Amino acid sequence: MLNAEDVRVLYDKHGPALVAYACSFATDAAAAEDVVHQVFLRLLSAPVQTPDVPVAYVYRAVRNAALNARRNGQRDAPLDSNSSVFERGNGNREAALALQHALAELPEEQREVVVMRVWSGMTLEEVTAATAAPLNTVASRYRYALEKLREKLQPYRKK
Amino acid sequence: MENLDEHFEKYLSEFQPRRPRALPEPAIDRQIRLRRLAAAAAIAAALGASVWSGWKEQASQKAPDAANNRSAASREQTPRRTLSIMELTRLAVENPTDLDAALEAAQENRLPRFDRRDSALHVLAME
Repeated sequence: MLNAEDVRVLYDKHGPALVAYACSFATDAAAAEDVVHQVFLRLLSAPVQTPDVPVAYVYRAVRNAALNARRNGQRDAPLDSNSSVFERGNGNREAALALQHALAELPEEQREVVVMRVWSGMTLEEVTAATAAPLNTVASRYRYALEKLREKLQPYRKK
Repeated sequence: MENLDEHFEKYLSEFQPRRPRALPEPAIDRQIRLRRLAAAAAIAAALGASVWSGWKEQASQKAPDAANNRSAASREQTPRRTLSIMELTRLAVENPTDLDAALEAAQENRLPRFDRRDSALHVLAME
């Protein structure tokens, strides 16, 4: 059972990654942020029985909420090209937007693994536990995802 | 290949996803405040009860003492009646022991005069 403190810790640690993850399902960054916020507000207001890996639960919850929001037409606007969910220290907005689009184009399983690994800071073993997929599968998904992202971001890396 | 992945991972981690707005504090604060208030009320009630019971117990112990002290004080503070010459004379005749006691008690308050002709001691001394 997650208590309020657990929810806050999860939010601090995984909130940004979850926004990036939700952005793949939502129409824009603001909608993704809304979805993540709402999921955590629900967790705060009514404690739920979570599985052994709470982060897996919140990823699933965010995914479902984002898909529901999209289906219900909330913020049903075209993706705002100026609304990036990512920021980079040197202010390369183009690269940030390219990354966002490249992530959105990944198959869901690959996107999930790469977000969990890179922005949630989870090990592949933890991702395995969270996704309930075998370690080899997770490692393959991760490698494929990196290859595709590398290819898409190559022009921006040279800048 | 792994080295390449590590470099690219590092590059990716330079992009920071937008941090979602903070979760509203009041919902949690209200709960915490209510709990603290309840705890403070419970502590205050417990302290009040213990102080009150202690005070009551002390008061009940003091009451008989005070009554005893008051009666003792009243006994002590009651001014001893000054015996007149006639009474002293009668005591001297009828019961010399009582006369001694009465004189001792009287001397605590005032020293009888010996030089006056009408003083009891002078009369007794003459006898």
